[in-house]
Amino acid sequence: MNLIRLSLRTLRREWRLPELRTLGAALVLAVAALGVVATLSARVEQGVTASAAELIGGDLGVSASSPLPREFANHARAQGLAVSRIATFPSMAFASSSNQLVDVTAADRAYPLRGKLTIRKAEGSPVIDAHGPARGTVYLDHRALNDLGLTPGQSVQLGGITLRIAGQMVSQPDGGQLVAMAPVAVMNLADAQAAGLLGTGSRAGHKLLVAGAPPATKAFASWVKPKLAPGQHLLTPQSSQQRMRESFDRAGAFLRLTALLAALLAGVAIALAAQRYARRKTDEVALLRALGTPRRRVLGLLTGTLVGLAVPALLIGMGLALGLSQLAWQLAGNLLTSAPTTLPWLPTLAAAAVGLAVLAGFALPPLAHLAEVPPVAVFQRSQQRRVHRIDLLYLLPVLVATGLIWMQSGSNQLGPILAASLAGVVVVALLLSAIMLWLARRLAPNAHPGLRLGLAALSRRRGLSLVQATALSLGLTALLLLGVVAPSLLQSWRNELPADTPNWFVLNLQDNQRADFIKTLHSLGADRLNMLPLAVGKLVSINGTPVDKMHLEKGDAKHWANRQLRLSWSARLPSSNKIVAGTWQGADPSRPMVSIDERWRDMFGLKPGDHMTFQVGEATLDTEVSSVRKVDWSSFQVNFFLLLDAAHAGALPHTWIASFHLPRGQSQALSGVVRKDPNLSLIDVNALLNRVRSIIQRVTLAVRWVLGFSLLAGILVLVAALASSAREREHEAALLRTLGAHRSQLRTAAACEFAMLGLIAGATAALGAAGAGTWLARRVFHIEHFVPPLLPLLATAAGAAVIVMLIGLAGTRRVIRSSPLLLLRRG
Amino acid sequence: MALDAVDVSKHVTGPAGRIDILDSVTLRVAYGESLAIVGASGSGKTTLLGLLAGLDTPSSGRIHMDGHPLHDGDEETRAALRRQLVGFVFQSFHLMPALSAEENVMLPLELDGATEARSRAREALDAVGLTPRRGHFPHQLSGGEQQRVALARAFVNQPRILFADEPTGNLDRHTGSDVCDLLFQLNHAHATTLVMVTHDVSLAERCMHVAELDEGRLREPA
Ligand SMILES: Nc1ncnc2c1ncn2[C@@H]1O[C@H](COP(=O)(O)OP(=O)(O)OP(=O)(O)O)[C@@H](O)[C@H]1O
Ligand SMILES: [Mg+2]
Repeated sequence: MNLIRLSLRTLRREWRLPELRTLGAALVLAVAALGVVATLSARVEQGVTASAAELIGGDLGVSASSPLPREFANHARAQGLAVSRIATFPSMAFASSSNQLVDVTAADRAYPLRGKLTIRKAEGSPVIDAHGPARGTVYLDHRALNDLGLTPGQSVQLGGITLRIAGQMVSQPDGGQLVAMAPVAVMNLADAQAAGLLGTGSRAGHKLLVAGAPPATKAFASWVKPKLAPGQHLLTPQSSQQRMRESFDRAGAFLRLTALLAALLAGVAIALAAQRYARRKTDEVALLRALGTPRRRVLGLLTGTLVGLAVPALLIGMGLALGLSQLAWQLAGNLLTSAPTTLPWLPTLAAAAVGLAVLAGFALPPLAHLAEVPPVAVFQRSQQRRVHRIDLLYLLPVLVATGLIWMQSGSNQLGPILAASLAGVVVVALLLSAIMLWLARRLAPNAHPGLRLGLAALSRRRGLSLVQATALSLGLTALLLLGVVAPSLLQSWRNELPADTPNWFVLNLQDNQRADFIKTLHSLGADRLNMLPLAVGKLVSINGTPVDKMHLEKGDAKHWANRQLRLSWSARLPSSNKIVAGTWQGADPSRPMVSIDERWRDMFGLKPGDHMTFQVGEATLDTEVSSVRKVDWSSFQVNFFLLLDAAHAGALPHTWIASFHLPRGQSQALSGVVRKDPNLSLIDVNALLNRVRSIIQRVTLAVRWVLGFSLLAGILVLVAALASSAREREHEAALLRTLGAHRSQLRTAAACEFAMLGLIAGATAALGAAGAGTWLARRVFHIEHFVPPLLPLLATAAGAAVIVMLIGLAGTRRVIRSSPLLLLRRG
Repeated sequence: MALDAVDVSKHVTGPAGRIDILDSVTLRVAYGESLAIVGASGSGKTTLLGLLAGLDTPSSGRIHMDGHPLHDGDEETRAALRRQLVGFVFQSFHLMPALSAEENVMLPLELDGATEARSRAREALDAVGLTPRRGHFPHQLSGGEQQRVALARAFVNQPRILFADEPTGNLDRHTGSDVCDLLFQLNHAHATTLVMVTHDVSLAERCMHVAELDEGRLREPA
């Protein structure tokens, strides 16, 4: 009790010390920055997950190759979740004069729980939202209607029963897949069951979709996971979307990067302030020890003071974090839709915990060392110095930093890369400072007197100079990464989806329609046209073994082996593809060749030189695997797992598939074309594009909000680093004044000293930020060809160096003004 | 005349109103003379020393050092005068903690842009008998040794006037008298004018003149 009161009294007395205030401010900033990042990223993630849910039609799903047990649905309902069941299967649809294979979705009336199923009641009527069709009715998409020669209102035979066409299906939650391969029909689930289309032995896939409050969804997921039989899979928004995956990952990495850098900046400020506070307290502690205070009590007193400082600082930081995240939502509400009305507390609490860890990690070592000050230090100041040896305790901040990085980095390489980069910055800063100090020693004797003093001062305070240079370098690197590199990375990301990214696809284009279609597109102002042939076939055998005789372990492999495959060919390697094994087959190889995607290599254990036989219509094609490709599936381009060579595949029966960019406002005109050529199937991917763009926008927003804090934290680092030598400098200046030093001598000395510090920090930070940025771009953000913005980096670094010098000079003004009499009085 | 102070007063305005520290002090010190300023604690000794050395300006009155006015003119001119004419010894030594003994002694020479700073510093250190410790830092030296380094520093640029504020105040009697002997020895050797604040009666007695301060006023010598 007594100790607590004493600690609080100490705190109150020492509150006017700048060291303690810096410590408090650094802590407030750390918690506020971390809290804002955490809360905003929670919100951004919520938004992103919600938009992903719209693509699978629910917050969560279970997919299986046979009907799912009733127990699952019942349990979900008991948890208060909405439930919907669907089944998908291919089926032949019959009209009076024609028939067509269609992909059928059999859905209950609740479908979809998330996202939209949209239909047109009749040709040309407006698009409206709908749910699974009523019994006895069906929705057919444009292609199915066209191929079968039907219109809404007429009947179609599907799976042996006759259904009335209640509308033209325009869109449905499709798992984010860009282009459906076959025409689509949506029918009632009960009808399908009654018709016996879903029984065992059918090829139907079954899905149970649930939606509701996040905790209930989570609870259901963990309940159902251990109950999943072979062939049953959990379907989460995160896992289901190939195309959005990369965007989610990048968004997360960006948010974590900003949070980490903000925390590290605050950590550096805390460490510097604590070091300085400890130095200031040395005399006092020596006195306490001399007066017989036991070490434990000294330590307790110091810890108590620290805790007394930490509690209000944490509270203020949390308040700031909550208030500012709330403000951010209000200002950018349109970006952070589907937000709950209550403020999430958890991220802020977590931020406070991390802030506490940072404080403990960075501030405790110097303070704990203080307790080691021997009582004789009262008489012999030399004894105090001995305490500043390096020992295990100084591993603590390193451990905390590592823990932080590890915690934040998740599964990707963000953490290790950042840690390595920062370690590199430390090494370079130390090296540069050592060289500069050595040079200073060499140059000092022959230099201008003022310069000589500055150089001498730097090299004589070697330890402190090294600490200052390193801290400044680290702080500046973090700032440059946040302020210059991150925006430029975001810009590169945005550039991957330029304004003219292909936003439309066309399917089913016939050879004789090609020329006309291209002409029409040009007249509509479309560009970036990319057209590839498309043939549909089956995999017959691999290396001579028929696939149905093969023992395929992987579920995926079984799935693909049975399926209709999309085959294409091209003379040149498509732009978003990269060869990772073998060589590209070229335009005209001597034998039939195929180039496969990595996923196929993994599923079937294929390698270049293996043989694959395909059947397309009546024709059989025996091909040799020429190469394995890595495909960038997030590029909005038509891509294929299997690419045949153009010379041997050209004669296969095929249609054409094309992607192109259509300027805004031309979609009406495009629909006109389709009316003229009704077999064409047009797909608008603007919605998907916008989804990715909105993720980028959200991340940009979050990064911008954190940047403000980080700037503050950076300034704090600057001030703390420069202040760490202020006392020595003040004493020195007063003494030099007494001995008759010119004002200009003092000023030159200070300018030279700080210019050198600024130079070291600026150069190291520019180098470090550029290096770390490039590394992160390659490995974490997968942004190819990222060039760090060297000019802005150098300019900012130079600016920072000048600011360091100016702040340093401003600090000396006070020292120069103060009367040299000070020294006599202090005596 | 080395120092010529006429009717010098100093007052400061604190929270409790005006405090008169010095009241119409007049004194003169000729070249080669030595003056001890004595008086009770708080009587204004340090303040007077600071004024005479040009570290501060009086509220009223005139002070000339070597014929140059100290009471008007800016700090820069006074600094130049100090650089050329003055040496200092402090009660608590005030060596630069980051500089070795030798570098500390070099400092006044360096500030003046003098040549051969190092060799002259070595000579000065030799004169105080600290040649073996010249590479050591202040925290590695005893109080007496530190004060000897301070003496070497004070004499190294051969000042015409030396100011000392209780130079033995932080030392034991024995060491103090050693340092004192050294001080007077150097003083004689360089024919320096000496102004010294001290509590030590025996020290004061070794000076040619004694001025006693009593609550800011100069008491006539008994
Ligand atoms: N800046 C100031 N503000 C207020 N009071 C001051 C200031 N400077 C000096 N004084 C006061 O003037 C008086 C004389 O101070 P000074 O240091 O000259 O005394 P001193 O004779 O050197 O004492 P000591 O022997 O204890 O060193 C003291 O009462 C002191 O409190
Ligand atoms: Mg005094």
